[in-house]
Amino acid sequence: MRRRSTFVACSLLVALVTMLGQNPEYRQDPKWSAPDDAARKVNPLATRPGATAGGKKLFLRNCAECHGNGSGIEKKHSADFLLPVVQDQSDGTIFWKITNGNTDRGMPSFSKLPEMERWQLVLYLRTLKPVPSPR
Amino acid sequence: MRFFFLLLPVLLASMVSFAQENPYFVTYDHHMEEPGNLDLEVSATTDVPRAGQKYYFAPWMEFEYGVTARWTTELYIEGQTTYGDSTVFTGWRLENRFRPMKREHWINPVLYLEYENLNEASRIQKEIVGGGSDVTSPNSELRNTSAHELETKLILSSDFHDWNVAENFIVEKNLSKGEGFEFGYAAGFYHQLATLASGEKCRLCRENFLAGVEFYGGLGSTLNFSGRNTGNYVAPVVSWLVSDNATLRFSPGFGLTHESSPVLFRFGYSYEIQGIGSSLSQLFGRKR
Repeated sequence: MRRRSTFVACSLLVALVTMLGQNPEYRQDPKWSAPDDAARKVNPLATRPGATAGGKKLFLRNCAECHGNGSGIEKKHSADFLLPVVQDQSDGTIFWKITNGNTDRGMPSFSKLPEMERWQLVLYLRTLKPVPSPR
Repeated sequence: MRFFFLLLPVLLASMVSFAQENPYFVTYDHHMEEPGNLDLEVSATTDVPRAGQKYYFAPWMEFEYGVTARWTTELYIEGQTTYGDSTVFTGWRLENRFRPMKREHWINPVLYLEYENLNEASRIQKEIVGGGSDVTSPNSELRNTSAHELETKLILSSDFHDWNVAENFIVEKNLSKGEGFEFGYAAGFYHQLATLASGEKCRLCRENFLAGVEFYGGLGSTLNFSGRNTGNYVAPVVSWLVSDNATLRFSPGFGLTHESSPVLFRFGYSYEIQGIGSSLSQLFGRKR
């Protein structure tokens, strides 16, 4: 009985930490949307999962500063990649957003990275597990 | 305040960023400093002198800060040592770059405005306008002639198939004396040596190197508009992400005209600190 209540308490704690670590207040900028042709682009590295490790390295170099290190802790106004509102976007949309940035909201353009490295970032973002939004 | 200075080294050590600097020394591209980040850079220009000229070493320090994603501001402090002459402080510059367009385009314009409070002994040659620097007169004479200058640039830059191509058009006005408007140019291109990141942490991998070429020089002034009698250079450039937070850059510039030095050497070391703006504002009580 005691072991069971410890397990339940630990599970609740993990769930709470995960929820608090997320950024549920994050809202997409409605003006920040990729053109249709960009949104339809397919990740050329989709069949090369080996490139994900390089994507993780690039993520830690370029993105973790604002978006957290993938554990869901990030700056208040930055997109939380664990949320379905981000994960439901197409690869092409995420690639376009990395390339162009959203300078009005403080997200710089990362067009200085080679195109394949930006696709590596998209590949890595897909490995982050989405957590349902708290209602 | 004492608390702040005690905390500063910890703050700096914990906020290391990883962005690689472009390899240009003179040319600007459209990539701005990330908002809230501070880039500290120590660089120097030196040359192989012509007969009758003296060897010099001109270091400068840059503090580059990203105010917003489309506005970068930068402070320069510079000096120079001339062999067999003296070491002098040559002044400071404050520059601002504004990117008017929100998104990436085929050509991305950036507007540049700089105020310079220099003396004529300045040798860093961060840009070359008019007829270029006076490298023959003694420092004691040059340092007494101060120049308050306003410099503007139109920067056009494109990222095309993983190449960056940039062109700068420079107009400078010396507010201290009537030299007319002086003109100059800079242009360049570079490429990252590998376009796919490896999964391993490595320093000598090709992905950590950027290489290219830049061209720069003076175009005379409204009193004498001409590419003649001005310094003009072609300069290979290379940068190396030497550690997780630092970039080394090197460029030998080869003079194309008699008014140019035969060879200019430039090297620089930059160190980026991320989120220093927001960390300092939190330190002084502003909520995140």
